[in-house]
Amino acid sequence: MTFERAFALSSVLLAAVACSGLLFAQSLPLWLALPTALILILSVLQAGGMSVVRRRMARIIISPALSNSLSLGAFVIFLVDLIFFSRDLLPAGIHFLVLLLNIKLLTLQQRRDYRHLYALSLMAILASAAVTTDAWYVPIFLLYLFAAVWTLLLYHMTQETGSAAGAGMPAQPAIGPAAGPSRITAPFLWLTNGVVAMTVGMTLAIFFVIPRVGVGALQKTSGEALRTSGFSERVDLGTIGSVKQDPQIVMRVELPDRSAVSNDHLYLRGLAYDQYNGRSWSHSRTRQRSLGLVAEGIFLARPPSSRPPGSQSLTIRQDILLETLDTAVLFAAPFAELVSGEFLAVQADAMSGLHLPAPPSSRLRYSVTSQVPQLIAEERTATALDYPEAVRLRYLQVPAGLQRIDELAHRVVQGAATPFERTRAVQQHLLDNYRYSLEAEQATLNHPLEEFLFTRKTGYCEHYATAMVVMLRTLGIPARLVTGFLATEWNEYGGYFTVRQRDAHAWVEVYFPRSGWITMDPTPAVNAASAASRWESLGRFGASLRLQWDRLFVSYSAKDQLAVVHGMREGSDFVREQASRWVASLSGPSAKALSRLSAMARRFQPGMAGLVTGLFVVGLAIFLLMVRDRIGLWATLHLPIAPSQGAILQLYARMLRTLEQQGLRKPPSVTAREFAGFVEREWQAAGPLVACITDLYQQGRFSRRPLSQDELSLAAEQVGQLQSLRRM
Amino acid sequence: MRALLSFRAFSIFSSMRGLSRRRTTRLTSDGTKFILFTFAISLAAVNTGNNLFYLILSMMLSCIVISGLLSEYCLSRLEFHRHLPDLIMANEPATLTLSIANRNRRLSSFSLRLFDVIGGQNIDRGLFLQQLPPQSSLLLSYPLLATRRGRIRLEGVRVQTLFPFGLFRKAGLYPTDTELVVAPPIKPLTLRFVDELVSEGQGQSLPQRGRGTQLYNLRLYQPGDDSRAIHWMTTARTSQLIVRETEAEDQRLVTVILSLMAPDDRESLFERSVTFVASLLWQLTERAYPVRLIVGNEDSGFGSGSAHLFTMLRVLALCERQRPESDGASLTGEERSSRHDADQGHSVAVVPWSGQAISAQARSADRVLDDRQLEELTHDF
Repeated sequence: MTFERAFALSSVLLAAVACSGLLFAQSLPLWLALPTALILILSVLQAGGMSVVRRRMARIIISPALSNSLSLGAFVIFLVDLIFFSRDLLPAGIHFLVLLLNIKLLTLQQRRDYRHLYALSLMAILASAAVTTDAWYVPIFLLYLFAAVWTLLLYHMTQETGSAAGAGMPAQPAIGPAAGPSRITAPFLWLTNGVVAMTVGMTLAIFFVIPRVGVGALQKTSGEALRTSGFSERVDLGTIGSVKQDPQIVMRVELPDRSAVSNDHLYLRGLAYDQYNGRSWSHSRTRQRSLGLVAEGIFLARPPSSRPPGSQSLTIRQDILLETLDTAVLFAAPFAELVSGEFLAVQADAMSGLHLPAPPSSRLRYSVTSQVPQLIAEERTATALDYPEAVRLRYLQVPAGLQRIDELAHRVVQGAATPFERTRAVQQHLLDNYRYSLEAEQATLNHPLEEFLFTRKTGYCEHYATAMVVMLRTLGIPARLVTGFLATEWNEYGGYFTVRQRDAHAWVEVYFPRSGWITMDPTPAVNAASAASRWESLGRFGASLRLQWDRLFVSYSAKDQLAVVHGMREGSDFVREQASRWVASLSGPSAKALSRLSAMARRFQPGMAGLVTGLFVVGLAIFLLMVRDRIGLWATLHLPIAPSQGAILQLYARMLRTLEQQGLRKPPSVTAREFAGFVEREWQAAGPLVACITDLYQQGRFSRRPLSQDELSLAAEQVGQLQSLRRM
Repeated sequence: MRALLSFRAFSIFSSMRGLSRRRTTRLTSDGTKFILFTFAISLAAVNTGNNLFYLILSMMLSCIVISGLLSEYCLSRLEFHRHLPDLIMANEPATLTLSIANRNRRLSSFSLRLFDVIGGQNIDRGLFLQQLPPQSSLLLSYPLLATRRGRIRLEGVRVQTLFPFGLFRKAGLYPTDTELVVAPPIKPLTLRFVDELVSEGQGQSLPQRGRGTQLYNLRLYQPGDDSRAIHWMTTARTSQLIVRETEAEDQRLVTVILSLMAPDDRESLFERSVTFVASLLWQLTERAYPVRLIVGNEDSGFGSGSAHLFTMLRVLALCERQRPESDGASLTGEERSSRHDADQGHSVAVVPWSGQAISAQARSADRVLDDRQLEELTHDF
């Protein structure tokens, strides 16, 4: 393929890749996407050399005046779009950009048009970056980089060729190959692809190193926030059911100390509710306090001293990547002690729920260290527990008119001697006697709890949890309802939980005076089809890649850079330590032997060791200096890397050096043959040798026939003889 | 050890300093636009904190870095050798050749534009190489038209490349310090004028027999003649022994003296006089006259043939005008006139300025061409 053809093709492909980024981002309406795709396909076919398309496209002649009119028309469309349709600068600007790109593709004639096309393509790939953070951007970006490197290189090569031809005085190669092919050769192909690989590597290096000085002051939200339910101040019974079939990802939770928890489930606590009015749950105290900072970006949610004395807990650390939600609640395993992330403030309510001052406008990454309380053995067996007055007042509240539930609760716990046994009895009753179903539409009922417990006996997590809380309260056991997510989808490739909307869940926290609030879940496990097919495995692998993309590129921050620097420092310390150990282990025996030798030498003659060593080093240096030419000769002949031309050049240069040492210097203006004649006159003994080497040099350098190995050997032999001669 | 380290550091520093002295990097117009785009994207990235903007910014920065690396690789390990003629004539195109070799082992050098460096200036000869494969060499020839006599010092070759992306114009200087001598141009002189000029002083005498190389006469062989003088072609044609007699050359010796004295306002006439002398010498050599040139301290001695002509032209190429107030110049002129009196042959003095210091020299010549005559003779040059 000629440079010109490849240049046209790569230019159009560059525009195509940039446009496809906008298409994938769904930033183009159908009326624009279809003609754009058509124009791009035609342009690629035309540039690729499809004769039919070339002929047809050649008939379309767009004059500069028409081109300007089209651009003006595109601007009018932009204004109309901005004012009446899109009503936002970014989408309207993208539409305008794509219109201009299409016009430019149809009017590509001069090199200036190509430059405009590149600028528009760059803006298009920027626009893609502005409207998406999805992982499909990776292949688009790589393709764009590939096309951009090829295009820039070919643009330059074709321009240089044109200007050289236009200069009127092209170089005349007298001897040697032509000035260069104007077709894409295999070496050029590999060189350019090598440049692409280098550019990719350097791009990544610069990306990770370049300082993140921006604070995202003007960052726009990337798309609409996900609608969630169950995390407001008041939750109607049955509202969670609306999202229980939504597979959208809400967050991803990594567990740095993976061994601390099992991989089958993790409760991610959102909000707790203490007041139930028969149809909905709410908070009795809505006041929130701001958490104190213990270090930059690290907030203390619950000081360790606030734990009940003698309590036991399990520490869980979580790194959470939260999608853009329409709630300000921060989710974490119960109960968060330390929260760190890039936010200015975090608030906590009276029931340990975490809140941001406002719903986040973009993805949020934060880390939480939680202490999951464990029920201590004494309270497990205690027949009566002494609850504080404040707890009893707040967490034993039930609405009036629940006699049937009261009777049911007491009937269920018959025979249970301790509060814990009663709690387990209620939980077990609900697990055994009720069926989990999302089809139960009970949000509109006047008495949804009674309906669930006595009539339908079918419901989902909210019903189970509400029933358990109310039943426990009627039994005098403080309990509260908690909403959040139950993570069960473990990604073995990325080592994290994927949490979706459908994982929204409600469960119960039961109070034990010394253990604290213990999580209990009365909802039976859903028998979801869990046959791990190959496709699901692949899907999890893809999800893992997406998370890596999010973490390494989309959410990469100055904090991550610091972490990388610390990691590298620690790594280098480790490597240095290992290396020094290795060197010590190796040098031990030899050092011992040397010290024994030096001790012997000292015994024999003080200072002898140093003297001998010095003499040896100096002698070796002198020997190498003396035989350096011989070594060079040997290397010239025997090392396979020197082609014949290079070898004879080196031999000739060696001959000149030898002659110069004998006082015969070759001036730059003297030709090789003239110099050989001069040497013959001045130093007759060396004359035939020099003449022979000169002949071989001229043959090897200027003739098209390369020197044979025998001829090279002859030249080397002559140079060797010359070196052994001395001029009188 | 410390001394060794400091020596190594010094040598690295000096090699880097040498490299920076020989390399220059300039932004092209496309490169300026590229930098502006990069700057705009960096602003956008900083303002928005969007990491994908940072990714695109990194791509553009890496293009800049790779431009620097690859262009340096293109210019490294190139070798140049010049092949120049001994003497070229002013206003006549001459062909220069330049040998370029790429000593890189693996990669080609691309987009090389070559310039002659003369007086620190880059002279574009239209030399462009799109690609020079590794371990290969190329011999380029190009025309050179020197417009005035003298010495042209070719300080080196400057190589420019826009490879790979055309963002930067990187140039490297490769010293090839060579000199080219430009002789004055040869202008046509009328045959009559040359005949008149050289026949004067010889009493318009006819050529005489004697030692020489030019044919004087053919005659029958006589006993005692040198058998080497037999003209065999005529002998064969006439079937008689014919011998060849030669014209006496000492009768035809011509000495041309060029006076270097001329004030600044006679610069043009002086140059034309030099051209006149060169043309005269050319004509005389063509006619096989043994010619001698005296210019200032330079004395070519008598000789004939093209080699002698080139020696004289080289002297003329390098001679420089001397201002009349220069004492040294006056002395050399007197010395030259006294030396000339002892020499044989007809002498012609070319005097572009008839000042007092010159008159003594002019007097000693058989024929003096003063400024007035020279003005007439050379006004068409």
